[in-house]
Amino acid sequence: MNRMLLAASCTLALALALPATGGEWPQFRGPNATGVSPETNLPTEWSKDKGIKWKAPLPARGVSCPVVVGDHVYITCSSGTRDDRLHVLCFDANTGKQLWHRQLKATGGTACHPKTCMAAPTPVADETGVYALFATGDLAAFDSDGTLRWYRSLVGDYPTITNQVGMAASPVLVKDKLIVPMDNAGESFLAAVDTKYGKNVWKAERPRDINWVTPIVRTVGDATEVLFDGPSGLTAYDANSGEKRWTSKLAHGSIPTGVLNGDTLYAPVGGVTAFKLSAKGLEETPVMKAKDVQPGMPSPLVYLGKVYATNGNGIVSCADAKTGKLLYKERVKGAYSASPIAADGKVYFLNETGLCTVIDGKADTFEVLATNNLGEETLATPAIANARIYIRTDKAIYAIGK
Amino acid sequence: MLRWSLARFRRVVLIAAALIPAIQPTAAADDEMTQAIAALKAVTKEGKGNEDAGPAWKTLVSRGGAALFPTLEAFDDANPTATNWLRTAVDAIAEKELAAGRKLPTDKLEAFAKNTKFAPSARRTAYELLVAQDATAKDRLLPGFLNDKSRELRRDAIARELDILEKTTRPTIKADLEKLFIYTRDKDQVDLLAKKVAENGGSVSVSEHFGFVTHAALIAPFDSTGGKGYGIAYPPESAKDSTGSFKGKMAEVKWGMFSTADKYGKFDLNKLLGKHKDAVAYALAVIVADKEMPCEIRVTSITSVKILLNGKELFGRDEYHHGAPFDAHIGKGTLKKGENVIVLKVCQNNQTDSWAQDWFFQMRICDDTGGPLPLKQKITADGKLIPLGAITETTEKKEDKK
Repeated sequence: MNRMLLAASCTLALALALPATGGEWPQFRGPNATGVSPETNLPTEWSKDKGIKWKAPLPARGVSCPVVVGDHVYITCSSGTRDDRLHVLCFDANTGKQLWHRQLKATGGTACHPKTCMAAPTPVADETGVYALFATGDLAAFDSDGTLRWYRSLVGDYPTITNQVGMAASPVLVKDKLIVPMDNAGESFLAAVDTKYGKNVWKAERPRDINWVTPIVRTVGDATEVLFDGPSGLTAYDANSGEKRWTSKLAHGSIPTGVLNGDTLYAPVGGVTAFKLSAKGLEETPVMKAKDVQPGMPSPLVYLGKVYATNGNGIVSCADAKTGKLLYKERVKGAYSASPIAADGKVYFLNETGLCTVIDGKADTFEVLATNNLGEETLATPAIANARIYIRTDKAIYAIGK
Repeated sequence: MLRWSLARFRRVVLIAAALIPAIQPTAAADDEMTQAIAALKAVTKEGKGNEDAGPAWKTLVSRGGAALFPTLEAFDDANPTATNWLRTAVDAIAEKELAAGRKLPTDKLEAFAKNTKFAPSARRTAYELLVAQDATAKDRLLPGFLNDKSRELRRDAIARELDILEKTTRPTIKADLEKLFIYTRDKDQVDLLAKKVAENGGSVSVSEHFGFVTHAALIAPFDSTGGKGYGIAYPPESAKDSTGSFKGKMAEVKWGMFSTADKYGKFDLNKLLGKHKDAVAYALAVIVADKEMPCEIRVTSITSVKILLNGKELFGRDEYHHGAPFDAHIGKGTLKKGENVIVLKVCQNNQTDSWAQDWFFQMRICDDTGGPLPLKQKITADGKLIPLGAITETTEKKEDKK
């Protein structure tokens, strides 16, 4: 009974903790990295010449995702022979007009796997502006009108930071704190910096190991926790103090980010495994195991009672989110880096060459509603906001819908 | 005389009094701008100075076009963090001027871009602002940038010149390409020009152009169990020459003389010293300079390295098997007149993955543009001096036999 009460109170706390997104897509994989949006009237079909509200050229490549808050779409790019020119851009979400463009010179190393680049971490935005982290450790906060609020060179601050595969974990916001994940082969940490001046509020030491997972935020009672998964386990940090609250070895990812759905964490281990989260951490016994739902680089998705994953081989798998029973496993065209996203009863799988397969998220069978091709490189997860899907390619950003 | 002077003095005072209201705001504004630039240049580590830098950035940008050149000039002695504050201010100023329908002063931008007393990155920024308004400036300016301190200006100048050479038929093509090769710095352009020269019957030395160490003394293995060897200063770390024997990981070890015929100066330690795991190797090269000069020692390695010049550590990076980008490790130092001892520490860990077995290094000594310096290397076996980067006949023959 006590356990049930605890679970119920956690669920309530979680429900209260979820930010009122208003259909916005403020960070990597949208609201709290779930990949799910409450938006409706989303497009099902489009092509380069059809169903596009606007298209705006980008100055360079990037594998970071667009983020949308209010009428602003923010995006990062990187360019140059050494990929050492870093760009932050803002577009009008309704017209595609470029509102501003700022450039930084990389102060950290720019080595990385050829598939990625320095514009890999996704920025995070709120109504005041955007916080852009680059794989070089350059971190900048811009007001929504392009005013530079503050800037930090994290490699200048902590010179041993290095990841020659390329960093990609994204920052997240907890009220007036920007949570910065910096797991790498050198000095590793999770830090909270104040959103006003960019100074450290706390900085928690982390194992020196490369890691691409983005932190997840949850509220438990009076506390807000930052859940940060990594090769050596999942750790919960107090968002206010940076104090370690608990650690679990049950989850131990390094590339995909898990999904927090109510009081259940869907972790990308052993396929996808779900654990109940109490105030003290992960409960030992999994409540669901979907071993056939194998995420590759893309993060899994939990939507309308089902758990989805895709991978580099183009295998889309789907299981019942309660029982883990495999519902289907189908091959779709191409390889996948972008994580699946969902809204309006549809699930969108965007492959690396601009082909997006839209499936019926309500069906228990693999029902393809449409396949839409933009014909450009697409490694970033799209954003959903304003009844549109925002897709960034290596050359442009598209707003798809009305 | 005195009466005349007094009358004149009164007139001067009256005129000055009339002018003061007009002059004062400008002087005050200039002062404000100077203070703003000073505040931006005062930022240091971990956000120190950000409180003042934010308002200063706004002040600077609010001055519009009047602040453009003072901001660009301020790049000169700014630290990398401050440079990014200034860089984004230039973006905002230019954007604001253009949005207001005011053109940026192309004549001043051109003069600034050509003036080598200013910081290369500021000149490049000015050049890009200029070209955005006057595309013809490219052809006017680029020929003068072939030997520029700005890597980007130099690169564009070389690309343009090569394009012209390839579009015309001229008897001097071989000599023209060889001359152009001298200016190249980026590896892709070096390789491209070397290929073009060869296709036209010429010959250039890539290894001498890069300044690769092609002769070195090597010694290994020292113990690095658990990765600890990176932090242990074994005796060769302070070696002044390649004499002596030391306690190694398994037995007594001593220096051996080695050379490479690889045009990129690669020393494959697995082949030369054996496939050691959890091990440290040292390479020692003797470089002779005819005068004191600043230098960069650039190293490519897929495993942890330390670079030491005349006993002083210039650079260290503890990272294994995450990639080996060209020139990733750079130690900046000063060569003394005469003999200089460069010691490179190259560690290997114990990963068993097939992709984690490489153990090698490439090391070159160059100027801050990556260009060659007038240096000689001592062939450590016999004390003979040869140009840095030279691949000797003996080395080539040895390689052929392999």
